[in-house]
Amino acid sequence: MPREAEPSLNERAFVVQALQEGLRLDGRAFDQFRGLDLKFGDHYGVADVTLGKTRVLANVSAEVTAPYIDRPFDGIFTITTELSPMASPAFEVNRPTETEVLLSRLLEKTVRRSNALDTESLCLIAGQKCWSIRVDLHVLSHDGNLIDGSCLAVVAALRHFRRPDTSIEGETLTVYTPAEREPVPLSWLHSPFCITFSFYGEEGEIMLLDATLLEEQLRVSSCIISLNKHGEICQIAKLGGTPVEAVSLIQCASAALTKGKELSTLLDQKLAEDSKRRDKGGLLAELSAENER
Amino acid sequence: MAQQTERIFVLPGDQINPSVIPSHPKRPLKLGPGLRHIPPSELLPTVAGQLVTDYKKNSIWVEYNGGRYIPAVGDLVIGTVARSVVDYYYVTLSDYTSNAALPQLAFEMATKKTRPQLNPGALVYARVTLANRHMDPELECVSATSGKAEGLGPLNGGMLYDISLGMARRLLMRKSVEEGKVVVLEELGSAGLAFETAVGRNGKMWVNSESTKTVLLVGRAVQETDEKNLDAEQQKKLVRKLVKEMS
Repeated sequence: MPREAEPSLNERAFVVQALQEGLRLDGRAFDQFRGLDLKFGDHYGVADVTLGKTRVLANVSAEVTAPYIDRPFDGIFTITTELSPMASPAFEVNRPTETEVLLSRLLEKTVRRSNALDTESLCLIAGQKCWSIRVDLHVLSHDGNLIDGSCLAVVAALRHFRRPDTSIEGETLTVYTPAEREPVPLSWLHSPFCITFSFYGEEGEIMLLDATLLEEQLRVSSCIISLNKHGEICQIAKLGGTPVEAVSLIQCASAALTKGKELSTLLDQKLAEDSKRRDKGGLLAELSAENER
Repeated sequence: MAQQTERIFVLPGDQINPSVIPSHPKRPLKLGPGLRHIPPSELLPTVAGQLVTDYKKNSIWVEYNGGRYIPAVGDLVIGTVARSVVDYYYVTLSDYTSNAALPQLAFEMATKKTRPQLNPGALVYARVTLANRHMDPELECVSATSGKAEGLGPLNGGMLYDISLGMARRLLMRKSVEEGKVVVLEELGSAGLAFETAVGRNGKMWVNSESTKTVLLVGRAVQETDEKNLDAEQQKKLVRKLVKEMS
């Protein structure tokens, strides 16, 4: 397995020195994100997040299956991540690296276990038929802060997604095509966002948001906080690394809240823009036989 | 490049107009990267790019901004020491490629006792001495003829920046301002900043200065010039903007 390319000693010393002086390589402030862009695809449920040079694509699909035997009233919701060699030569297909395992675990904890998606609403016929919602996450380019970008992509794609409408008459279940009935959005309860903090210095006294790949390789420890815009924290993960002061963790949490609110506003705005773009002017416009010739 | 009035672009497999190929009465024709000679007398480009000829040196090549560095003899490169074995340092020229070998005695004034001790991760500025297609390249940090370092050797302090291979070639041109159209370093110098740089053909640039701010500024200016493909006027504008921001 190819090892990840490591930065040289000069780079290590310089980046840390610059951070001590309050400077970042790309001239950002410590709590500033890189340029964040969110795009939706032509189909429902495709979200493309660009964060500086990091790019993540999430795609949601739905199919009707049988529910798990032990959970007859719940639908199925899975998130699969894939870090392909396209993102970095250090990633190999079918051999998950630590980054990949960590990423999928965190998304699982943030989105699935916090009940962001109401899985009970996915049940069609108890114990027999339910919707299986699957999110495929592809990392197209890796330049650090995969977790924040991926979480935003997953949440955006799920909120953008529309599943086919269904009806039950007696014993028969009908799934309608988009032409017959307008597809319906998922029953979404809250939107969690991941915010990653990177710590530098002997005791982790320097705190960075949205670290690039180089900065990520040099950090002494990191902390990932997931919360929604109401400030309800879904999970906090600080996996090893140098211990940091309790006070700075509290600072992290409050900084995460402001960032989470910003991300939430951005997502709402982008979703509104997209629905405006799709809305051709109601039933009247759709029924009109006039074309654009 | 200078003699040429209009630029010629070629695609792989294009026919090259015979009138473009330089002909010198004595010297043999030299083929550079991106061209393939099919005997007896056919020349085919293998990459897309700008066809460049030099009538004085009787040479012809294709200038392109490719992603992967392929070592060639005489190239100046910046490498990272990966590990050291008995008589050699193994040096990484680009990520995820096989290492180049740098003999520990190929430094200025190096003997068995005075050779420099380089730790894994240290940077060296070196020249490629051996580059065969299926062999690991070899490097040296001393001129074999004069025995002098001539600017080569370990790089201490400073910061390493990644730039594109095309940008590295432009920066290394003898007249980088006229031919390469890079004025960004000259502009930064005339803005009163003191710094030193080393450019490696493998797409690396090392910048050092007394102040951290200057290093950051130089690195950002060059990287931005590279990424956005700025022309001379825009480069000047960028430097003015960055200097203003930093001060």
